[in-house]
Amino acid sequence: MKNIKVFKTIYPPFSFVLLCILSISGCTTLSSGGVLQSEILKAKAKVVPALVHLNPIKPVYTLGKKEEVIVIGSGFIISKDGYVVTNEHVVGESKKVKCILSDKREIEAEVIGTDPFTDIAVLKLPPQEKYAFVVMGNSDAVQTGEIVLAMGSPHGLARSVSMGIVSMTDRYLEDQRGVISVFNNFIQTDAAINQGNSGGPLVNLKGEVIGINSRMLLGAENVGFAIPINIAREVVEDIIKNKKVNRSWLGVNLQEMKAITEDTNKHGVVIADVEIDSPAYKVGIRSGDILTAVNEEPVHARFQEDLPLVRKKLSNLEVGKEVELTIIRGDKEEKVKLVPDVYSPYKGQEIEFAEWGFTASDITNEMMKRLRIPNKNGIYISGVQEGSIAKISGLLAGDVVLEIEGKSVKNLEEFMNIYKQTIDNGQPRVLLFVQRGVVTRYILVKNTKDDQSEIKVIDEGRSTTHE
Amino acid sequence: MNSPFIVSAILLIQNISLMFAPSQLETIYNQIIPSIALVQYSSEVTNQITGETSRRDGNALGLVVSPDGLVMVPGFVEVENVSSFNFRVRLNIKGEEKEFNAVKLRKPDDLNIMFLKINNDANIKFPFAQFVEDLPKVGSEIAMIGILGETVDYARCITTAHIGAILEKPRLTYCLDENVRLGFVGAPVINEQGNIIGVVGFDLSKAEGGEVYTRSGHPLLYQYALFKKYIQNPPAVQAQDDEQGAWLGVITQPLTDDFAEYWGLPKEGGLIVATIVNPSPASECGLRIGDIITNFNGVPIRAKYDSDVTSFTKLVREAGVGNSVKIEILRNKEPMTLTALLGTRPRRSSEAEEFEWEAVGLTVREITPDIRIALSIEDAVQGVLVYRVKSGSPAQVGRLARGFIIQAIGDLPTRSIDEFKTVVKMLQEKKPKEITFFAKIGNISGFFRVQPRWEE
Repeated sequence: MKNIKVFKTIYPPFSFVLLCILSISGCTTLSSGGVLQSEILKAKAKVVPALVHLNPIKPVYTLGKKEEVIVIGSGFIISKDGYVVTNEHVVGESKKVKCILSDKREIEAEVIGTDPFTDIAVLKLPPQEKYAFVVMGNSDAVQTGEIVLAMGSPHGLARSVSMGIVSMTDRYLEDQRGVISVFNNFIQTDAAINQGNSGGPLVNLKGEVIGINSRMLLGAENVGFAIPINIAREVVEDIIKNKKVNRSWLGVNLQEMKAITEDTNKHGVVIADVEIDSPAYKVGIRSGDILTAVNEEPVHARFQEDLPLVRKKLSNLEVGKEVELTIIRGDKEEKVKLVPDVYSPYKGQEIEFAEWGFTASDITNEMMKRLRIPNKNGIYISGVQEGSIAKISGLLAGDVVLEIEGKSVKNLEEFMNIYKQTIDNGQPRVLLFVQRGVVTRYILVKNTKDDQSEIKVIDEGRSTTHE
Repeated sequence: MNSPFIVSAILLIQNISLMFAPSQLETIYNQIIPSIALVQYSSEVTNQITGETSRRDGNALGLVVSPDGLVMVPGFVEVENVSSFNFRVRLNIKGEEKEFNAVKLRKPDDLNIMFLKINNDANIKFPFAQFVEDLPKVGSEIAMIGILGETVDYARCITTAHIGAILEKPRLTYCLDENVRLGFVGAPVINEQGNIIGVVGFDLSKAEGGEVYTRSGHPLLYQYALFKKYIQNPPAVQAQDDEQGAWLGVITQPLTDDFAEYWGLPKEGGLIVATIVNPSPASECGLRIGDIITNFNGVPIRAKYDSDVTSFTKLVREAGVGNSVKIEILRNKEPMTLTALLGTRPRRSSEAEEFEWEAVGLTVREITPDIRIALSIEDAVQGVLVYRVKSGSPAQVGRLARGFIIQAIGDLPTRSIDEFKTVVKMLQEKKPKEITFFAKIGNISGFFRVQPRWEE
């Protein structure tokens, strides 16, 4: 298993930015070079006016608390009416984002929508005069070795340009918790990409944007990754139209053919796993089946990097409209009809419960896979504050609350209602029934703020013994 | 039994500070050191994260406890991820250092000690420590003889300490008042009358909650009563032992006063049934989550603290496999009596069967119920756990890794270690060029092709 650590966050410490600025002693003037030099200058000139430095204040849920952090990222304007494209991980759940345009004007943009699956967000600047905007290129035509420029705000240093070449056109990235970018490969480049570059454009020498810089390999030198603009273009269009990306769900996890055979004549894609109770599961599709066609159109993934395209094809099916899959099981070919459902959101709504000191979220199918949550019922405890009532009572991050006060909890809203009642009524003890891995246990929350003597740590929270 | 204490008490009043007299210590020292051995051994340590193994040498104090060469050593010699072998016991017999080979006996699971048996073909009569059953009081002084480090040639050393505290639960536990050096773990403990009343212990055993909870790391006196049975009746030579005890199949929590108050129950303790293993004697007898066990097999259950849960485990274990036991419970405050037919305790992770497949470079383990709980593997997932992947092996090339659960090889399911072995046996004969594993990693499954290196 490849263990690529992909670094995503982009918060340069403020003092570090200052230090860097202080240590820059002077700039050398560019001497005019040959053709390449002039091409670089031309390409840069086409994009820089549309470059945006982003300063979102984004809510994050960390260690059982909701906090706001100031983030630095990059983006670029794609239309004269002021749509801005950046990474989802830059804006997160912010509603408004402070943008600094290339002429140093500060303007607040509204977040139109985000897509965590592809890590893309679309913002909208207020309608006013025409904005300078970029031209999007064709990322399918990008070749390894092509010279590219990365633009953005590395470590907060706005309007920076760096240069390199395309190192690889279709890099498939995964991590050990399962695939993290299921619907796209990445353009790999050695143009310097640092924290703060996230959301900025990767530009070819024609001055066209061919990718969105979004990741880098931690501990490596100049191994950066950009989302291909052709993938981004579709997502951006969907977000502008629907505020989100609509995807359909069959419930199959795919693997490349190479995982089961060296025979290059065998076409299709391996069904590695079928999610319980999914549309595919209900019609009897099982691990080991090979999917060869969707509505008579052949699908094929020989290598891992061929998978995103197949996944995209499946997720583009229309929800509720019957589809025919061609499956090979053993030596037999079968046609199976099924109706795609709606794709699970990346994560559920998350809320801080300040009185007890924890955060929790609804559970989605996607979270069950990613976070190994055993149960879709209940709510997922995403964090517990040190020293809080929740912590002292023995609640742990990762627990799934199945019941509160003897009533089963289906979602965050139901939990919230009962929780609020107990707080309003000043109820001294509240009973939870939680699932922790494959074990269940009772937790009695001592809802006491004022009486310090009540808060005593007995050995609760570490007392399951296998009997 | 009481008279020595009366004598001690009088002494205490007469001499403000009661101490062993130097001459007394000298006598004790000379009498006991012939039974004190230096035990040297090698061990294989398994990294619990990567599954990689490494070897190291160790030494420990050994105390000869029988004339035919039964040697008691501290429990740290062998723990969950450390397997020890090649034991050599060095004894000073009549002024002459002699070395003997020894084999390890099965480690008791109720006390953190271990026994070795010297290969005594020559029928030597070894000098041995004779214990006396006597329980010290808090504050009483004790002497102990340990071994010093290599630079002073593992010299035997006598020192004194006090019984600093006595705990009643989960069993009678004697705590020493100060830290001891590693060479004193396992040292004989001598009371003021010059009798050997136990050994220095360190950490509670796993069954007592030692390796699980934080209640460990303090030197203790293991009184003779705790290990008398092992000296009289030594454990078998390290081997699978089917005396696993009885099993009910529940995970419980103590009924703390807070829970009792919340549910409006008397604050008398009990055990809340939090998880029921399915199937198990518990599920079959009709026990439900939320029931409160108040009496098991005639023994009232008054659990209020975590430590009480382990006492219950012990109670169940000793209730006898195949016996019908009455369990009194409270369900919605109403008393009820259930009858459970106790089963055999499933194997624990430390006893889990392992199988190494050399052609692939893979070691797998059966998934015991405690592994299931520790790794959150749902009951529906049947397979064997990848425990070790040899560096550079076909399995590593095929991207198999520790923690994967192999559910099938080719079309053949490997739901248990026996099924896995059967499939392997078949493949060993066929020697296919390539094998496809179907394995689960977290909540996702996948296929992995491996090209075994068959031996010619």
